[in-house]
Amino acid sequence: MLEAKQLSKTYQGKEALKPTSFTVNKGDIFCLLGANGAGKTTTINLFLNFIQPSGGQALIGEKDVVKEPIETKKLLTYIPENLMLYPNLSGLENLEYFSGLANKKYPKEEFLKFLTEAGLQADAHDKRISTYSKGMRQKVGIALALAKDAQVLLLDEPTSGLDPKASNEFSELLTKLSKKGVATLMATHDLFRAKETGTHIGMMREGSLVEQLTTDQINHTDLEKLYLKHMN
Amino acid sequence: MYLLIAKQFIRSKVVQLSLLLLLALGIMGVLIGKQFLQKQERTLSNVTQHQQAHIARNVELHREIGLLLYYLRFTLIDQPDRIAGLSIGQRDVNPSVQSITIRTLEAQLHDTDLNNPSNLQSGNLDLGFVIIYLLPLVVIAFLFNLLSEEKEAGTWRLIAVQSNSTLRFLWMKLSVRMLLTYCMLGGILLFAYLILSLPVNRQLITFILVAILYTTFWFAFCFWVVSFQRNSSFNALTLLSAWLILAVLLPASVNNYVANLYPVPESLAAMVKQREGYHEKWDMDKKITMDKFYTHYPQFKKYGVPQETFNWTWYYAMQQMGDDESLKERMAMRAKIKQRENASRWLATAIPTMHTQFLFNDIARTSLSSHLQLLDQTTEFHERLRLYFYPKIFENAPVKSEDWKKFKPEYTRAENNINITFALLPLFLLTFGLASWGVFNFRKTNDA
Repeated sequence: MLEAKQLSKTYQGKEALKPTSFTVNKGDIFCLLGANGAGKTTTINLFLNFIQPSGGQALIGEKDVVKEPIETKKLLTYIPENLMLYPNLSGLENLEYFSGLANKKYPKEEFLKFLTEAGLQADAHDKRISTYSKGMRQKVGIALALAKDAQVLLLDEPTSGLDPKASNEFSELLTKLSKKGVATLMATHDLFRAKETGTHIGMMREGSLVEQLTTDQINHTDLEKLYLKHMN
Repeated sequence: MYLLIAKQFIRSKVVQLSLLLLLALGIMGVLIGKQFLQKQERTLSNVTQHQQAHIARNVELHREIGLLLYYLRFTLIDQPDRIAGLSIGQRDVNPSVQSITIRTLEAQLHDTDLNNPSNLQSGNLDLGFVIIYLLPLVVIAFLFNLLSEEKEAGTWRLIAVQSNSTLRFLWMKLSVRMLLTYCMLGGILLFAYLILSLPVNRQLITFILVAILYTTFWFAFCFWVVSFQRNSSFNALTLLSAWLILAVLLPASVNNYVANLYPVPESLAAMVKQREGYHEKWDMDKKITMDKFYTHYPQFKKYGVPQETFNWTWYYAMQQMGDDESLKERMAMRAKIKQRENASRWLATAIPTMHTQFLFNDIARTSLSSHLQLLDQTTEFHERLRLYFYPKIFENAPVKSEDWKKFKPEYTRAENNINITFALLPLFLLTFGLASWGVFNFRKTNDA
C-alpha cells in the first residue's frame, strides 16, 4: 500500500534521507524509530508530498505521490504530533469541515458515529475544540481518517505528550484501524508502544534505515538493546 | 462547506467587532447625509418664501426702479438630488442657491454657504466616505491573514492533505468573506434607500455598481498581497501602509502637485480688476464708461451719455464695467480651475480611492464640475435679468408697471454625463490585473 523506492532527500548538500526502501502493506503498522533528526519526519513529509524527493519514489497504492498528488492524497490521512483544529468550531464541526475539504459528505449522525468510534466521549462532540485536550484532538484526527475511509495513515509522533491512558487508547484505535486493512506509517520515540502496537519496526539513524524487523521477532528488552546499539 | 467556513469566520471576535463598527459607521454616514438633505430642504423652502417677501417689501419702499433693482435679489436654485446625501462632496460649501442682484456678477458669484468650520476641516462623514476610506480597512482586517492564519495556527498541513486544491480552498474562504462584506454593504445601502427615500434611477444604480466594484478592487488588492504568502504581521503592515498611501498620501500629493502645476494668480487679479473696473469709474468722465458700455450693448446706444451728476444708466454701466474689465482674468481663472480638475481626474484614474470619490460626487452631482456648471448657469441667469431690466431702468419705468409677483426662484440642473465604461474601466482593470497576478502567484507555489 505504501512503498519507498530508493527514496532520498538532500537539503543544501546535506543528506536528510539517504536512498531508502521499505514497504508497508495493508493492515501493517510500520513504526519508524530513531533520534531527532534521523529522517523520520522527512520520510513522512515525502509521502505527504509536502517536500519533493531528491531521488527515488514514494508510492501510495502504487501511485507516485509527486506525479499523482490528488489521487494519492485521497487515500491518506495525516495526524501530526499536535493536530491543530479550529478552536472556535466544535469537534463535530471540525470533522465536518475537514471532511468537507476532502469532498466527504455524510449526515450528521454518521459524523457523530465516527467521533464515537474514535473514542471521543459524546458530551464533547458539540464543545468547541478550544476546550479539548490533546488526546481528544487526536481522536478527532482518527475520526477524520474514518470519515475519509483512509487506506493509509501517516502519523508523526502522535502519542508524544499524551498521558499513558490516552496513549493506550490511541494505540487501540490504531490496532482497530489496522484490522480494517489500513496501512499505517508512524514515526515515534515510544519503544514500548512500537512493540505493542506496531507490526513492523524500522530504525533510522542519520538519514538511513539501519534496521527493519517485525515485532513478533523480538521482545521488549532486546528491542531496547538493539535500539541503543544503533544509536550509539 | 461554505456554511462551516462562514461559521468559523463569524465566530471570531475581531470579525464581529469590525462588522459592527462598519454597520455603525454606515448608519452614521447615512444619518449625516439625511441631516445635510434636511438642511438643504429647509434652505430651499425658506428661499422661496423669502424672495416673495423681500421683493414685496422693497417694491413698497422704493419709487425709483433703478434704486429698487439695487436691492432686489433673484434666486437660481440647483436642488441637490436625494442621492447627494450619500456623497455630499462640495455641496456643503458651494451653495445650491444662488441669490443675485443685477449688479456686478463677479463680486457675488463666489459667495459660499456658512458652515461650522470644524466640520469643514474634518470633512463630512457621509456614506461615500465610509465606503471609500473605512470599508477597505474592514476588507484588510478580513483578508490579511487569509492564508497565514492557517499556517500560523498549524491547520494548513491538514488542509493541504485533505483538500485537492489549496487554491480552491482559499477561494472558498475568500468568497465567504466577500459575500459577507457585500451583504453588509447591501444592508447599509438598503438603509440609506429607506432613510433618504432615494429614487431608483440610473444614478443610484451607478452608485451601487461603483461601490461594489471599488470593494472588489480592495479584495483583489488584499488577495494579491496575500498571494506572496508572507506572515500575518507582514501582510497587515503592508496592507495598512498601502491603505495610508492610497487614502491619504496620494490624494494629498496629487492635490499639491496639481495646485503647483497650475497656480491661479488670476483669482486675485480677477477680484482686483472687478473692483477697480467698477470703483474707479466714479472718478472718471461718464463718457468713458458709457462708450465702453455701448460697445458691449449697442442696442442701448439711444440712451446716450447722461449729463446730470448721478444717473441710474451710468450707475449700472459702471457696475457692468466690473464684469467687463475683469473678463480676461475671470476666463483665465476658469480655464485654470478646469485644468486642475482635468489633471486631477486624469491622475485619479490610477488611484482608485480618488477615482471613486470623483465618481461618487459626479453621480451625486456634488462635484466641483457640477458647481462650475451652476456658475455658468448663474451667469446666463444674471445676463437674462440684466437685459430684461436695463431698458426699464434706463427709461425709468414706474415701479408699479412691473408684475413683480412673477419673479419666483428659478430652477436649474447641472447635468453630469458620466460615461459608465470609462468610469468603471480603471477600477475593473486594476481589480482584474491584481486578482490574476495573485492567482498566478498561488499556482506557481501550490498546485505544481
